[in-house]
Amino acid sequence: MAEPSAVVAQLIFGIVRGILLGCVFALIAHGLNLIWGIAKVVNVAHGEFIMLGAYGAYFLNLFLGLNPLVSAPIDAALGLAVGLGFYFGFLHRELRGKEAITLQSEMVTLVATFGLSLFIANAANVLFSGNFVGIPWNAGSVELGILQIPLGGIYVAILSVAIIALTQIFLNRTYLGIGIRAYSQDIPATQLMGINPTVVAAIGTGLGFGVTMAGGAFLTVLFPTGIYPYMGALYAPISFVIVVLGGPGKMWGSLVGGITLGIIIDVGQIFLGPSIAYAVAFLTLIPVLLFRPEGILR
Amino acid sequence: MKLPAIPKLGPTVWGIAAFLVVGAVAAPWIPIYPLTILIGLLVFAALAYSMNFITGLTGYVSFGQVVFMGTGAYAWGYVVGTFRWHPIGGVLVGAAVGALLALGLGAVTLRFRGVYFAIATLVMPLAAVDIILVTPALGGGQGIILNLGFEPLSWFYTIWVILAIEIGLTYWVTHGRIGYGLRAIKGDEDAAKTLGIDAARLKLFVFCFSGLFTGAAGAVNAWTLSGVFPNDAFALLFSLQMLAMVVIGGMGTLLGPLLGAVVVYIPHTYFLTVVVGAEFIVIGILIAIIALVIPEGIVGALRRHIPALRRILE
Repeated sequence: MAEPSAVVAQLIFGIVRGILLGCVFALIAHGLNLIWGIAKVVNVAHGEFIMLGAYGAYFLNLFLGLNPLVSAPIDAALGLAVGLGFYFGFLHRELRGKEAITLQSEMVTLVATFGLSLFIANAANVLFSGNFVGIPWNAGSVELGILQIPLGGIYVAILSVAIIALTQIFLNRTYLGIGIRAYSQDIPATQLMGINPTVVAAIGTGLGFGVTMAGGAFLTVLFPTGIYPYMGALYAPISFVIVVLGGPGKMWGSLVGGITLGIIIDVGQIFLGPSIAYAVAFLTLIPVLLFRPEGILR
Repeated sequence: MKLPAIPKLGPTVWGIAAFLVVGAVAAPWIPIYPLTILIGLLVFAALAYSMNFITGLTGYVSFGQVVFMGTGAYAWGYVVGTFRWHPIGGVLVGAAVGALLALGLGAVTLRFRGVYFAIATLVMPLAAVDIILVTPALGGGQGIILNLGFEPLSWFYTIWVILAIEIGLTYWVTHGRIGYGLRAIKGDEDAAKTLGIDAARLKLFVFCFSGLFTGAAGAVNAWTLSGVFPNDAFALLFSLQMLAMVVIGGMGTLLGPLLGAVVVYIPHTYFLTVVVGAEFIVIGILIAIIALVIPEGIVGALRRHIPALRRILE
């Protein structure tokens, strides 16, 4: 290792980049968390919808010249539609009329979404070809002392936190949002309050997909050439780890888990190399599950 | 309540035994290309049965089976490459390492229920490959390359023996006290515990079998490739294929994994020459439909809808 001041500079750089990365990771994990927390469905195909979001941004850039920040809301709208379709086409059959989502149902949807994930990833591989593509968009960078921080990363990090905050306000302050949270806690009681469980579950799932696909668009800013059909196989496990770190169903947990993981990966990459950094990031899951299964947030 | 008696060695067992014996007798006369296909099929069937031990019998969905396959392959490559062992000795080492790893990982991860077990096992191969890539003793990113020559008959009989033992063990486990215990755990683990079933021990027991045979199959697979390569040995795709075979064939059944292996492996070999991965477009949809509509798989659905087959299929 070089002299101490260089190490400190690297450490600070790693932490800053890690926080930016972590905010976007938090957003994609937030999409999973919404679906997991509300509809009680663990979407194994989550990574594939991140991939579709990234390709959405890519094609909008290719054909219309839009930058990823503008593509994100379009992606989110698309995600809402896809999520509603996913709920009614896929989950409704298993979940309708249930008074509580049992372990059995969870395993059924786990295996079913696993099949869906194989389908989407390989169909994308045939349709889009297996090459890595990227979006040529550079927003410049700012200099903070000796640090050079890409502006694009700052934009997407701020937008990610804003989106998480917005969904949080929606879930806590609006009638529909409170209905969705009620559904996630007690389905029969929700029905007694005059709320249609199918409608709120579908909207919750759609919201989760919208957030996921917007997150996919933001990822293209951080990883300029990282769009390929099987990218979901990396981001889905990352999202799972983040949700477990933060605690499933805890919405601020995504942010805490995301930033934790972002810092682990980025600081680890500088001091231990990329392989070990990702291994450490994945394996943090095990002690958390063993000792704090409710997540690191209380 | 009196449980229905299970017939001794039903037609399914005889059918599978006939398939294996005919294969073993005919193998020296089968032309090379069909023989290599058959070897691949048997490797896949061995993997499917090993997945059946944990996911089929207990209902714990494991996305991390490939971690045993990869470590089995690496153990095989290490003793064959470094100590110049005979490959069959290497396969035994691979099996032992797979079982030991399953014991260690299972002791930790089998505490997690349902989705949490699936996620905890999902990250294992991802972390394992990252660690292997920076381990010089195991070849790092390059892997272990051996030049062992082309000996399809040795491969065939090795995987044949592994598969035969595995199917025998599956039969033994499902047709006795252990089988009733496992079915109780699959139905409702807490209820099973109140009946005095030592759930933790039973789960660990079948998980070790699972690791043992996955490790052995992984070692044979590495033998057919004459080497071990990190990104292939730990490819998550193998886990997914194993799960696909068990789900399609029928979880926890005796014939299901073999049937699933045929359904998954044959298109796989065909599409290798067209577009890699294209078969998963069909297999993915098939899994989704089966999970939602007939969660008991092909064998289970046949048993449920055609009463005449209930005595025959298991």
